[in-house]
Amino acid sequence: MSIKKDNNWEPRILAFCCNWCTYTGADLAGLNRMKYPENVRVIRVPCSSKVNPQFVLRAFQKGADGVLVCGCHPGDCHYSTGNYFTRRRFMLLQRLLEYNGIDPKRFQAKWISGSEAAKFRDTVAEVSAQIKALGPNNKFVGAHYDNTVMEKEAEGGKD
Amino acid sequence: MAELSEAMVQDLIRAEAKKALQTGEVSCVIGWTATRFEDRTKPYFAQTPEECDMLIWNRYCINGTAKFALDDRYPDKKFGIIARGCDTRAINRMIHDKQLKRENLYIIGVVCDGKENPVCRQCAHKTPLVCDVMIGEPVQDVIPESRFQEIEAFEKLSPDERYAYWAKQYDKCIHCYACRNACPACNCIECYADQYRVGWQGKAADREQNQIYGLTRAYHVGDRCIECGECERVCPMHLPIMRQTRKMLKDINDLFGPYECGLSEEETTALGEFKTADPDEFM
Amino acid sequence: MARIGVFICHCGTNIASVVDVEKVAQAAKSMPGVAFATDYKYMCSEPGQAMIKQAIEEHHLDRIVIGSCSPRMHELTFRKMLKATNVNPYMLEIANLREQCAWVHTDRAKATEKAINLVRMSVAKVGNNKPLHTSMIPITKKALVIGGGIAGIQAALDIADCGFDVTIVEKEPSIGGHMVMLDKTFPTMDCSACISTPKMVDAGAHPNITLKTYCEVESVSGYIGNFEVTIKEKTKFVNHDLCTGCGLCQTKCPTKVISEFNQGMSKRPAIYIPFAQAVPSKPVIDENACLKLTKDKCGICEKICPLGAINYKDEVRYTKEQFGAIVVATGYELADWKKMYPEYGGGRYEDVITGLQFERLVNASGPTEGHIVRPSDGKEPKDVVIVKCVGSRDPKKGKSYCSRACCMYSAKHAHQILDKIPGSRVYIFYMDVRTPGKGYEEFYDNTRRDGAQYIRGRVSKIYKEDDKLIVKGEDSLLGRPVTVEADMVILATAMEPAPKIEEVVQKLGISMDKDKWIQEAHPKLRPVETQSAGIFLCGTCQGPKDIPDTVAQASAAAAKVAAILCHDEMETSPMISSVDQTKCSGCGFCVPTCPYKAISLVEVPGRDGNRKVTKKVAQVNEGLCQGCGCCNAACRTGCIDLKGFTNDQILKEVDALCL
Repeated sequence: MSIKKDNNWEPRILAFCCNWCTYTGADLAGLNRMKYPENVRVIRVPCSSKVNPQFVLRAFQKGADGVLVCGCHPGDCHYSTGNYFTRRRFMLLQRLLEYNGIDPKRFQAKWISGSEAAKFRDTVAEVSAQIKALGPNNKFVGAHYDNTVMEKEAEGGKD
Repeated sequence: MAELSEAMVQDLIRAEAKKALQTGEVSCVIGWTATRFEDRTKPYFAQTPEECDMLIWNRYCINGTAKFALDDRYPDKKFGIIARGCDTRAINRMIHDKQLKRENLYIIGVVCDGKENPVCRQCAHKTPLVCDVMIGEPVQDVIPESRFQEIEAFEKLSPDERYAYWAKQYDKCIHCYACRNACPACNCIECYADQYRVGWQGKAADREQNQIYGLTRAYHVGDRCIECGECERVCPMHLPIMRQTRKMLKDINDLFGPYECGLSEEETTALGEFKTADPDEFM
Repeated sequence: MARIGVFICHCGTNIASVVDVEKVAQAAKSMPGVAFATDYKYMCSEPGQAMIKQAIEEHHLDRIVIGSCSPRMHELTFRKMLKATNVNPYMLEIANLREQCAWVHTDRAKATEKAINLVRMSVAKVGNNKPLHTSMIPITKKALVIGGGIAGIQAALDIADCGFDVTIVEKEPSIGGHMVMLDKTFPTMDCSACISTPKMVDAGAHPNITLKTYCEVESVSGYIGNFEVTIKEKTKFVNHDLCTGCGLCQTKCPTKVISEFNQGMSKRPAIYIPFAQAVPSKPVIDENACLKLTKDKCGICEKICPLGAINYKDEVRYTKEQFGAIVVATGYELADWKKMYPEYGGGRYEDVITGLQFERLVNASGPTEGHIVRPSDGKEPKDVVIVKCVGSRDPKKGKSYCSRACCMYSAKHAHQILDKIPGSRVYIFYMDVRTPGKGYEEFYDNTRRDGAQYIRGRVSKIYKEDDKLIVKGEDSLLGRPVTVEADMVILATAMEPAPKIEEVVQKLGISMDKDKWIQEAHPKLRPVETQSAGIFLCGTCQGPKDIPDTVAQASAAAAKVAAILCHDEMETSPMISSVDQTKCSGCGFCVPTCPYKAISLVEVPGRDGNRKVTKKVAQVNEGLCQGCGCCNAACRTGCIDLKGFTNDQILKEVDALCL
């Protein structure tokens, strides 16, 4: 089996959004009929501090091209201090991923409040454009998801 | 006082171990003994005063002694541990993680001048940080400038070069968990990687699963790593495992201030606390 | 095997115009675990809900995915609907096809693809949902009010009037707080004591109110509905059960020390009732001043007391009590201007006084029986300077905030001086005049008409020359320096939180802002709640405010308390963290991440090999946990998990998304 290079390739971007700020902001973007790329999928979590760094690794492993973690601005956390932990956890994870060869644009974190619908739209559009420019992620991806590996197999294999 | 020779230290270790076993205070003393190879030693549990004569001290005593204490988390008697600086950091680590109790340990501290182990070149704490008796003259703690040199050099490579390097390492990895079993910071009763049903970690020893394991482990121990190098020492494939955990330590140093683990049992870990004034890159 | 029902809503044309809903429902049919899938015009409508219920019956569904508007909109609606069916209300996931798909995209094909993906994620997640049940916790129908100032008194009276028991803990020997020290209140010029003392008496006599004066809160544990509070009763050395408050002891006590109530402008005995209208009107002995207690001499009060109520061997007592809700009303203190402003004399000049000292001076029951005289020589001052914003709005030397009440009480002071001392002149140095309140601006206007001279500018220096205080400042409107020769200077000093506020905050597990005022849960929509459920605040512990605002907040807090206490038990959200104690290592890394202090390490029986041992493991207090999940990511083993958002559920969502 071979997978053809797709010119209409759309990245697969995962966004963890906290229920109280960013998810509300994303809903507000909808309410205001703002437009942004389709390639972002939101996973709702109660607080950005619920997001385990292992979820991010898992997303890359399963073939996500980009991961976004969004929460309330520091000081505004619905649970008062959750996002301060988020901040430490993901500053370290971002560096560790970069160190392991993942472009830091592929993993980003942003504070987006419930009223910042435009910021949500802009962030999504920006991240989407950045990742489109980077192309598909083939790092950390399981071999059966890895297009390049498959292509190589196809070249050398029968059909 | 003149510097003690290896033989003198060995005699003192044996004498202290004997004393501890004779009083009946400890059930055993964990140290090193000779093997049939001159340049190898192995861990040894002296359980009687007589067996203490089997204990040795030379520059090949490289195994960590602390983690053995976890083999019995609920001991009837105290464990005697012959501990170098790194072993005492491991003890502090496990006490802080509430896996050991200080009152269950009898620590015979030995000032160490470095062993035939590459990690010793970056040793900052040659003097035991916690002990009941101390053998040798305490020396000044100095964090070597080379602590993060290797990391800094590696950071200069391009992302693809870095990925290729790690991919190669994880291709070699045989997913044996030796690093975890030796690591004093890996002290969970049930490791995330053993919980196949939850699905954090696949079983296969392929690049994909090894990468996930390597990064997850680096993240799990990164803010608690005591830099003893046991992971690299035990790795059958000679993977540069500390290069991942040290990277975490370096970032913590850079972001949140000077950071070393296992210096006392009281310290807080970087990911267990926060400051509202922490740097913020996610605005 | 799960039997999932998928229901895709058109939302009229809101979703259907952009997303091919039929295709989404069709695609859902082939997803793992899906037993039934359909689309409908309005899922939330009565017929829509009836259709879902019918499908549950017909297809024996055990979990539901609804592709509709945001879960923030109708999650509760559908949960309520499921209550009437065999399906647990928490076996429900909502795919947000409106706000986060149809409304933000225009490309029909791509939006449909995304919608299918979103539904797939919800299907994957719901497959791992577990039935959850709300639990009921009993409520102790009793409230604790910390602080017996006007805020605490008002809150207690309102709660007590609803029929609930209230305990007021007050650190001073009498309730009343700062309000009872004041002379008159702006802008109506009511006598402060005349309106506050009846409330104090009411509180003292109310059958539902227990006064615990000269007491402090020692420790607090538990959670909403079930707080356990240890109250420390300081040593009074007088048995209040025997004492009738005759006051004989006070008259005979030979020791005289500075009176706190009169702001240091008079003396009181060592055994004292702080002021005439005190509630309870019974004395305590100041152990630092009493000759018997310090030097083992005297003992007159014991001899003279006809009831034998004096007990020099009194000890600190601790009592434990259960409460259902707590109101914090710890109030304020005036900031110590002496350290902040050495240029105003730093306390060297007796005639430079604070606003609160002036209140005592002008008060008919105060040290001068209401005659405004200089503390230094007892002469009537003719020229009085009032300096506003001493410590307020001055981030460099004092506080950055505005203390809110000073503009008005300074105007009132000016009015009182001009009224009581014929021929007097009052100069008020101000930065801005802020009069936001009913009748406030009119009062300020009247004061100016009375003849008060308002000078816009700050005072740079106050020093003494002969009999006069020389006040140097700037008139910033005219742009030139001003010097006033004054007989007396009144400083409108900044309010700051009560001195031991940090301790109170720490004991209660609530938070403070940067100025140590207690943080409200939401500045606009939850102004009298704290971050911790069941703990409320009112009055100046939350920030500077005047009496009307304080009283309004107190009643608001009381209403919040009554809303809890009127129930016998309350429902808790089942979406909270719980610990798999068989896996837990007891490392305690989750403990400090919890903002609600809901996690503790407990000892449980366990096994180590074939031995029975006592293990230490984490435990979540279900009453305290609010379900943020912060502890989850701190747990390396993954044994602490948030119900409804388990690690497993999220991993399945991630997997489905990347499929």
